[in-house]
Amino acid sequence: MNKFTRRDFLKLAGVSAAATAAGTLGFSVIARGQSGSKPGGAKGAHVVVIGGGFGGATCAKYLKLADPSLSVTLIEPDKQFITCPFSNYVLAGFGTMQTITHGYDALRKKHGVQVVQDFAVAIYPTKRTVRRKSGKSISYDRLVVSPGIELKWGAIKGYDPAAATAMPHAWKAGAQTLLLRKKLEAMRNGGTFIIVAPPNPFRCPPGPYERASVVAHYLKQHKPKSTIIILDAKDDFSKRGLFIDGWDKLYPGMIKWVAAAQGGTVKAVNTKKMALETEFDTYKGDVVNVIPPQSAGRIALDAGLADDKGWCPTDPMTFESTKHKGIYVIGDASIAGEMPKSGFSANSQAKIAASAIIADLRGQAPIEASYVNTCYSLLAPDYGISVAGVYRVTAEGIKSIPGSGGVSPRDADANFRAEEAKYARGWYASITADTWG
Amino acid sequence: MKLKRSWITVTAVVASALALSACQTTPSPAPGTAAKPAQAKPAEAAKPITPEMAGNLANNCFTCHGPNGRSPGSIPSIVTLSSGDIAAKLKRFKSGEAPSTVMGRQAKGYTDAEIDAVANYIAGLKK
Repeated sequence: MNKFTRRDFLKLAGVSAAATAAGTLGFSVIARGQSGSKPGGAKGAHVVVIGGGFGGATCAKYLKLADPSLSVTLIEPDKQFITCPFSNYVLAGFGTMQTITHGYDALRKKHGVQVVQDFAVAIYPTKRTVRRKSGKSISYDRLVVSPGIELKWGAIKGYDPAAATAMPHAWKAGAQTLLLRKKLEAMRNGGTFIIVAPPNPFRCPPGPYERASVVAHYLKQHKPKSTIIILDAKDDFSKRGLFIDGWDKLYPGMIKWVAAAQGGTVKAVNTKKMALETEFDTYKGDVVNVIPPQSAGRIALDAGLADDKGWCPTDPMTFESTKHKGIYVIGDASIAGEMPKSGFSANSQAKIAASAIIADLRGQAPIEASYVNTCYSLLAPDYGISVAGVYRVTAEGIKSIPGSGGVSPRDADANFRAEEAKYARGWYASITADTWG
Repeated sequence: MKLKRSWITVTAVVASALALSACQTTPSPAPGTAAKPAQAKPAEAAKPITPEMAGNLANNCFTCHGPNGRSPGSIPSIVTLSSGDIAAKLKRFKSGEAPSTVMGRQAKGYTDAEIDAVANYIAGLKK
């Protein structure tokens, strides 16, 4: 290496790449922090990202970190993003809306992402344009679609947007979170809080059960005669053993879980009577939280990116849509093998999509993907549990690596639970900095 | 065109050398030997870990440990750790020698060569 300095080499690589029509060199340093090479293929290309949540914001940021010469536009209807993670603690009274709200200033100013506050209403894959609600169109070289979920209104009879004011879903954080919090605050001591848990797949698999836990924490302190019923469309759920152990320990007799096999599947709601119809019974609640069945976000459905079940099939190595070339679908909307629909998964997929997009723009093969997920849940402010997964791409798609990942030990002591609760907060601070900071 | 082609050959060879030296899973081979990595280290030649691949692996660390490994919260920062420290810690988590809440479960998902590549990548970031 005495004759070539690293800088010289990179210069040389850049020149060669430009001279040989980009990307044929078969080598470039796109790993961030080690960059310096700007092969012509990606330079000046325009990547549009739809959705500023964990997936979209991370992808926009990592695209710019990996290749500052890219032009990246993020289209997001809201001025600020309110996260679903940690919104359960707002419901429980030990978290605030302020701490779960994130703006786009850092993406704009620190990372040079163009953030457009608008609604993406249509995608034209052949023309490579996106139409915005304002009427303006925006063209792209590559498109990232990270729209999150759509609630399937009407899948439970009578559960429509109007019903969601009487029985909030609070599964998109914001006004719905505050509405459900208000209802819990107003509930009498001795009241019944019912959570309707959705069928798989859905956003945040441990979410409904964490919600039951932390609301129990609130009720135990303020309305100890109250009870919680979870009516479930499933016979199992994420971290079930750990949740049930915790409920027995922290809130004995307070939380009742009704599995699908026991008639837990809710068929219809009656908001006037605050009643829920299952196959065999009618349940009445003082406060009712209906988390309805879900699909990929509306724009993904409208653009023909989803399959007949409402989720978007993708190439597991890149997250490029198998329906439309040049469009990458990440986060909750995507079908991602064994990865759960979580903020962490979206963040992990976003980084791989960013890497794959840059490789593709440079005419190179994608770099091997590696994914991680860790979901923390609090059962009380000082009682945390987790599930982790490390994933790679196999012939059967994205699979957890045998022997890795899994849930917190069932026999852990109070210190271990307290540590995990502490790390849950640390996780939130870090992932939100990694995504919006 | 002939001249350009020879340039490509030169850069490709240097590229291989750089890719290997950036990993530092083994002592960097001299540029002259880089064209034959299979002879340099047969065990890893089957699946060489490029810096880009190391980046894809390491980017997952930042979700919990913060951007570039600088944690804003209660999870330990890894930004100032040396490559050797990171690799040693991960291997001890992986074996169970070092107690952990979640890191044992995470570290079991990586080969030792991947751990070394990740450690080198993180330690080598401009921070």
